[in-house]
Amino acid sequence: MSSLNASLATALSGLISEQGALATTTNNVANANTPGYSRQVPVLVSSDPTVVDPLTFGSGVTLQSIESIRDPILESQIQQETQTNGQLNSLVSALQQTQVNFNSSTGDIGTAITNFFDSVNQLSTNPSDLSLRQGVLTAAGNLATAFNTTSNNLTAQNANLDQNVVQSVGQINTLTRQIAQLNGQVSALQNAGESAGSFIDQRTQAIDQLSNLVDVSVIPSDNTLTLTTGNGTPLVIGQTAFQLQTQPTLSGLHDVYSQGTDITSSIVSGELGGQLQARDRQIPAIQNQLDTLAAGLANAVNTVQTGGFDLNGNPTGSLSLSGNPQAPVNLFTPPAGVTGAAASLSVAITNPALIAASSDGTAGSNGNAEALYALNGQNVISGESPTDYYSGIVFDVGNATSNATAEQTASNLVLAQLNDQNSAISGVSLDEEAANLVQYQQAYSASAQVITAINDMMYAVVNMATLTG
Amino acid sequence: MRINPDPYPDILSSVERTQQQIFTDEQQIASGQSVNVPSDNPAAAAVLVQNADQTSQADQFQRSIGSVQGEIQSADSTLNSVVESLQQAISLGVEGANGTVNAEDRQAIITQLQGIQSQLLNLANLTYQGNYVFAGTATQTTPYTLNPSSSSGVTYQGNSGTNSVTLGNHFSLQTNLPGSQLFTGSPSNMFQSIQDLINGLESNNTTTIGSAVTEVSNALNYVDGQRVFYGNALSQLTAQQTYLSSESTELAQQANTAGGADLTAVITNLTASQTSLQAALEAVGQTGQIDLFSYLRE
Repeated sequence: MSSLNASLATALSGLISEQGALATTTNNVANANTPGYSRQVPVLVSSDPTVVDPLTFGSGVTLQSIESIRDPILESQIQQETQTNGQLNSLVSALQQTQVNFNSSTGDIGTAITNFFDSVNQLSTNPSDLSLRQGVLTAAGNLATAFNTTSNNLTAQNANLDQNVVQSVGQINTLTRQIAQLNGQVSALQNAGESAGSFIDQRTQAIDQLSNLVDVSVIPSDNTLTLTTGNGTPLVIGQTAFQLQTQPTLSGLHDVYSQGTDITSSIVSGELGGQLQARDRQIPAIQNQLDTLAAGLANAVNTVQTGGFDLNGNPTGSLSLSGNPQAPVNLFTPPAGVTGAAASLSVAITNPALIAASSDGTAGSNGNAEALYALNGQNVISGESPTDYYSGIVFDVGNATSNATAEQTASNLVLAQLNDQNSAISGVSLDEEAANLVQYQQAYSASAQVITAINDMMYAVVNMATLTG
Repeated sequence: MRINPDPYPDILSSVERTQQQIFTDEQQIASGQSVNVPSDNPAAAAVLVQNADQTSQADQFQRSIGSVQGEIQSADSTLNSVVESLQQAISLGVEGANGTVNAEDRQAIITQLQGIQSQLLNLANLTYQGNYVFAGTATQTTPYTLNPSSSSGVTYQGNSGTNSVTLGNHFSLQTNLPGSQLFTGSPSNMFQSIQDLINGLESNNTTTIGSAVTEVSNALNYVDGQRVFYGNALSQLTAQQTYLSSESTELAQQANTAGGADLTAVITNLTASQTSLQAALEAVGQTGQIDLFSYLRE
């Protein structure tokens, strides 16, 4: 037979468990807006029954554990998408800055090329006119400046990106240290059989932040996590964080090292991946196209310029009028090579009389000016005319930006959806918590009532004994 | 099914997207262009680069036409004066060939012809904006100088060079004829014919005078024939001007097709975006005003 004392114990287990459940709800409500917090639920189980033959009596309730509600697969998907998202965010931001240089304006390269050839066409109508010759020199100077400015802007942008790379590596190191520490806290609690919910939440959030910066693979093992980059370079193993280093290369830009190995080219995701992609691939490719255009144009112009006669009838080529060797009179300083040609393009002459407009040595001949003008429509830059080649650069820059932006928009939506799903599973709902609160409160009151009833019964029993005695 | 209890991130990102759209629309309205950065439409941006180049070229060709037109007009009207002078010389020659003319009158005719000779010299040495027009490409050299030891009385110091100027994508125009072709070349030498006429009158040889008159008359016909070159050039320039302005119009249309903003559509979009932004913001205001806790409070 069950005793009143046993009933009291059972009622008390209800009070204690409901209090625990209430505490869980309170914690959920308190953390309703905490980023990365997963809602917790109390796991209530009925206590082992007491068997008093032939009857089996329940012996109350136990608050077995407090569980965080999360979906590890969804979390892993979010981490994956966050890597893509981070990469696209930094790439788009870099390309948007790059493409501004290729907006049509008074100072862009396309306009400068057009203005240069326009000035040559005008000179062709009156080749001995000094002001028209000066006009060609001025336009050539503007063209050189347009190349210099654009190229220098891209170089400055790359230097900024390089700083971002160094900063990202610093952030990665901070996060991996945090994660290693959290690994320790989680496994300590879990090894002691306790719930590590909030530490796991913090760790998950740190991994999300890390995913935003770099490729991360998460390999779970007993009560802990191992993190590596996409190509297997370790970032965190258990409680040890493997720090990444940056070292400047000959170009002045920094490469990323892990334990002495250069892993720069293997980083493709996260903000760091996007920064490296812009710094090492996209912007250098545009620089190279600008250099090709600048060198090709300068060489083509010089070839024509050194094949005629200046205003005074002197040949501009490598032989003087008397047949002696002489320094050719170039219009642009001949580029040393393709690399750096855009940044260093400059006009070689200041005297407008030295422009070789004449093809027969007389001041009035425009034959060479016409040949110079004809370059405008000739395929002198990698099989394309100067303007066509330039419009190709504009297309490439615009297309890269537009594609990355489209991918970014898609990734934003995917990430929002995944976060939405995750929040549907793990997010704190105040309605739900209010309902739980009412439920636990009522159960608590009921248990308290039961105790009051048992108390009355006990009292009756005690008084009965007194009367009898 | 449990739904996401926190709708704010979704609403905010939707607000952000709408604001981005509004920004883009406003940018298009402000600039009148749908392509404000290359990524707005990379292919159109590339087309617009070429379009701007061609438009600027067409404008430049118009300016260049303006520049060469003046010189050609000046050459044309000068040749007209040459023809008039030669007509005058023929009349004088015919008058001098008449046997009844006395020595005094003949001398007067000779003086008049010498006047015409120097007038022709002036005309052949025409300058336009500091350049000798009939010196070939030697535009800084006086083409004709008096030279009594020369049979024609003059020496040509220019050259036989010609200039052509590109005035369209597939149009280039020769802008000058050298004096050696116009005045003192074969088949007809204007200065020689006048000198022959003066010589004939001085020697009072009617046969020589007669053949010299024929010579002058041939020279006149020849120079008059050469005027066609300038006349043609002028009409080609006019035609090219017309062509270029229609090309400019076409290029402007092409630019508008490639990169012009469809303002009606943009404004409609903008209005729609503004409405949806307002709705989203109202949603933010209303969400979260009600939860179970607010009822339990009572």
